[in-house]
Amino acid sequence: MTPFELAEPKTLKEAVALLDADDPTIRPIAGGTALMLMMKAGVFRPSKLVSLSAIKDMSSIETVNGELKVGATTPLAVLERSDVVRKHAGVIIKTLRTLSNIRVRNVATVGGALAHADPHMDLPPVLIALGARVVVQGKSGERAIPVADLFAGYFETVLVKDELISSLIVPAQNGRRAAYLKCTTRAVHDWPALGVAVSVAADGNAIKDASIVVSAATEKPGRLVGAEKAAQGTVDDAGWRRAGEAAAEEAELITDGQGSAAYKKELVRVYVARALRAALGAQ
Amino acid sequence: MATRTIGSGQVGRSVPRLEGAAKVTGRADYVHNIRLPKMLVGKIFRSTVAHGRIKSLNVSAAKALPGVYRVVTIDDIKTVIPNPFYGPAFHDQPILADGKVHFVGEPVAVVLATDPHIAEEAASLIEVDYEELPAVFDEVEAMTSKAVVHDELKPAGTFPDLKHLKGKKDTNIALDFHLRRGDPNKAFAAADHVFEHTFRSQQVLHVPLEPFVSAAELTETGLTIHTASQSPSFVRIEISRLLGWPENKVRVKVPYLGGGFGAKLYIKLEALVAALTLLVRRPVKISLTMEEQFYTLTKHAATFRIKSAVKNGKITGRDCEVWWNGGAYADIGPRITQKSGFTAPGPYDIDNVSIDSYSLYTNLTPAGALRGFGIPQLVWAYESHTDMMARALRLDPIEFRRNNILRDGRAQATGTQMKDAAVEQVLDRLALRMNWTAPFERGTGPVKKGRGIAVGFKASISPTTSIAIVNVAADGSVTLYCSTVDMGQGSDTANAQFVAEVLNVPAESVKVVHPDTDVTPYDMATLGSRSLYHMGNAVRLAAEDAKAKLSALAREVGVPEGSNVPVAELFQKKYKMQAGNIIGTGSYIPNYVPPDANGLTPEATPFWMVGGTGAEVEVDTETGHVRVTKMISVADVGRPVNPRIVETQLSGAATMQFGFTMQEKIELDGGQITNASFADYKIPSIVDIPRDMQNEAVESEQGTGPFGAKGVGESGTFGVSPAIANAIEDACGVRLTELPLTAEKVYRALREAQGRPLED
Ligand SMILES: Cc1cc2nc3c(=O)[nH]c(=O)nc-3n(C[C@H](O)[C@H](O)[C@H](O)COP(=O)(O)OP(=O)(O)OC[C@H]3O[C@@H](n4cnc5c(N)ncnc54)[C@H](O)[C@@H]3O)c2cc1C
Repeated sequence: MTPFELAEPKTLKEAVALLDADDPTIRPIAGGTALMLMMKAGVFRPSKLVSLSAIKDMSSIETVNGELKVGATTPLAVLERSDVVRKHAGVIIKTLRTLSNIRVRNVATVGGALAHADPHMDLPPVLIALGARVVVQGKSGERAIPVADLFAGYFETVLVKDELISSLIVPAQNGRRAAYLKCTTRAVHDWPALGVAVSVAADGNAIKDASIVVSAATEKPGRLVGAEKAAQGTVDDAGWRRAGEAAAEEAELITDGQGSAAYKKELVRVYVARALRAALGAQ
Repeated sequence: MATRTIGSGQVGRSVPRLEGAAKVTGRADYVHNIRLPKMLVGKIFRSTVAHGRIKSLNVSAAKALPGVYRVVTIDDIKTVIPNPFYGPAFHDQPILADGKVHFVGEPVAVVLATDPHIAEEAASLIEVDYEELPAVFDEVEAMTSKAVVHDELKPAGTFPDLKHLKGKKDTNIALDFHLRRGDPNKAFAAADHVFEHTFRSQQVLHVPLEPFVSAAELTETGLTIHTASQSPSFVRIEISRLLGWPENKVRVKVPYLGGGFGAKLYIKLEALVAALTLLVRRPVKISLTMEEQFYTLTKHAATFRIKSAVKNGKITGRDCEVWWNGGAYADIGPRITQKSGFTAPGPYDIDNVSIDSYSLYTNLTPAGALRGFGIPQLVWAYESHTDMMARALRLDPIEFRRNNILRDGRAQATGTQMKDAAVEQVLDRLALRMNWTAPFERGTGPVKKGRGIAVGFKASISPTTSIAIVNVAADGSVTLYCSTVDMGQGSDTANAQFVAEVLNVPAESVKVVHPDTDVTPYDMATLGSRSLYHMGNAVRLAAEDAKAKLSALAREVGVPEGSNVPVAELFQKKYKMQAGNIIGTGSYIPNYVPPDANGLTPEATPFWMVGGTGAEVEVDTETGHVRVTKMISVADVGRPVNPRIVETQLSGAATMQFGFTMQEKIELDGGQITNASFADYKIPSIVDIPRDMQNEAVESEQGTGPFGAKGVGESGTFGVSPAIANAIEDACGVRLTELPLTAEKVYRALREAQGRPLED
């Protein structure tokens, strides 16, 4: 590691002002769990890091107009212990329990978990399934981006280099039921080889509408519209398996150290069906 | 584990580890913490190609970086060590690359600075131009490949069985060991059934939590090396040889190790820091990163073709061909090829045996000893093979083994008789603990359950020497001097127990002096589960010598035989004040007869280690995921000296091999390691290992061991891989022959079995 400048702005505006849209060697740092690894490996050599940790009012959790609002520098462990979150979308808490270990969760932040854009992450697919959006602060003001549209590709977001995620908003779920299944292949605790998040509006076991998101095995997390259609109207295992079949056909899978694309296709088939079953609480 | 004490009650007692409190309170010494006055730190610049000639090496930008003290290449090293090649079996490894590189990650140059960040930055500014050469990575291909790793073989000359390889060209074979016993061809011709299978084990890593680290400094009388080494005596001898100095000018000091597992043997960074210190006349330290372990030493990948003849349920002939992937430098590979190679047929009573075991050079990170010294690779094959035969013959796998195992008094493949080797007891206890004869629940839905067992054995590397000194001070307090390295296995505690048992003092009161070659006597190395037996015998003899001298002192000062006059009073009586010492010494080398032209010898090993594993698994047949729900380790450790430590050695060894079985693998792409970080190379964590782990030492006694004991560091590894593979087949009917046993492999095998293989 070589020396770099560390800035610790006190406000979001100051932080944004310290960033530079054209200079990739200047970056925000939140928990640093991803960034520090990249710096130690020499793949990122910063000239300046803009720390977000001294910014006030960026780590609150509240409900506003029935929506859950989470500040971007909220540590994942705080989210995990929040009753507000539990009541609003318990699936987030269950997901966090599978995400790395408590040492990482104590430090890593909600903003980092979204902006890092490594496809092998657990929160993005869940937030997409829940219809969440992020609020982004730039030099010329604020904009909202649905999490579903945040990712541009492998380790890439649509954020401009001088924009910051200031908060995450999860809309009211209105009785929808959700589940996230994480599949690892190299060890029990690992980045996911496949993540499947589903959210369903259902009458008993009869699915009226499903949101089905796959991640990790794909270049970026995304909804599988064909599988969602196939899930609509299903009431039992046979139907959920058909949705799994549709998902396996539809997903564009990649081969990496966690498994071949051909194998992941089979995992998608099985895990989509299992996730629907889990969301419905069926046996 | 039950306590079985003897005599003074010191051996057989679960004495808490002597260093436990110092470790948990952060007070234990490690080389990592050493800061010497005016010390420079070195950062190694490494090769990026697997095999190449260095056309040019440009260090000018690195040199120019402010804060850089010096950049060193092999030409500089040669000014202080003209012939800078080292190794225990071959003098093949240069201190820095000499004209050629032989694997990705090979050290090419070193930057010295006081600031490690500057050294690292400067190292990244070094430029090399390589002429790439054809490379070979696979051990079987290396037998015949056109790509040849070394231009000429350079055996060290210390081993008679390597002499014929001196000066050989156009070969990658660093040792070929052959054993012939009986007439295997005849046995195959007369057999009812002949089975042949090939198994492969992958390249994996030791992963001690303390990476390699060494420091050197010049002193008035020579050179002192502080190093995290399992073999201080070897380091002293080898550095003396490289420098052409007498042994007593080189001092090697080893405090505690943060794990070793066979990685920290022979020369690793020691020759480099010694040369650098001599060059710059300042202390130099090199601490590798966790990631650099991938470029230092691995465990041998191996391919094993095994063929058996069976007649009337008896194995009558066995043919073994083993190819060991030694990487770019031989390290101790040739010894593994032979000393472990001769146990390749397994703990079975087979009259007709042929073994061909080859140590091969390839363009990969060198391979060496790793907890089991080649045995887990062999057991993986022969115990999978045994199960496959039993299954094909519709015989119970335990019964089939019982019909064929080696019992005491019978000759093993080398002709050496089995003695104090509790193979049958291990099998019996496993069967009992697994509740083998009771009905077994097979699971419902997509999750299928199965169980399997495996048993393996190991000879101790021989002949090797240990020397110990016991010093009784004038107040009766006792100090032990020995060069066994405590790297977490509890050797300090066990050795203190031996001294305490003989001298009838509490083990907790015995002080153990850590290896310092100016102070502690010679020991071959802490490896291969040899220390408890060899050093244990030397320590016992040294303590007995001290005891005899104490009795003589008592007689001299007129104290009657058998009286309980305190030791301090004996000294007082003789020296008229608190003065003097009694020094007891002990040295131990077992009997050994080198193998003849057919690989046969009546005295191959001083003792046998036996270890067996039982596993229960659940296989998710829709995804291939395997969960090992129960793992039972049973071993013959002779008499457990410290039952608690025995238990943790068994469970620790089993856990380590569990990682090598289920998840660990160095991934390679044309010689480049693609997962050289612990984010991607996954060692097991607490959530990976089986919830139910049981460990047992069977009732046994090693006649020649210290108080009936023998080594236990590796026995827990032997059976793990095949027991789990056997359980997987039992659960879902598919057989894997290549480690690790990943979910994807299981799934692919399941699809294969259904006649609809997965298409990529
Ligand atoms: C060993 C380990 C295992 C892990 N396992 C998992 C796992 O299984 N599943 C999982 O989901 N995660 C896992 N993680 C966490 C994950 O990989 C990231 O490290 C983490 O989410 C990053 O959060 P952070 O706050 O530390 O971000 P940082 O490291 O500080 O930053 C990451 C990136 O986000 C940018 N950034 C941070 N905050 C903002 C913001 N507010 N606005 C704009 N850009 C921002 C930074 O510039 C940087 O590019 C693991 C991490 C480790 C170290």
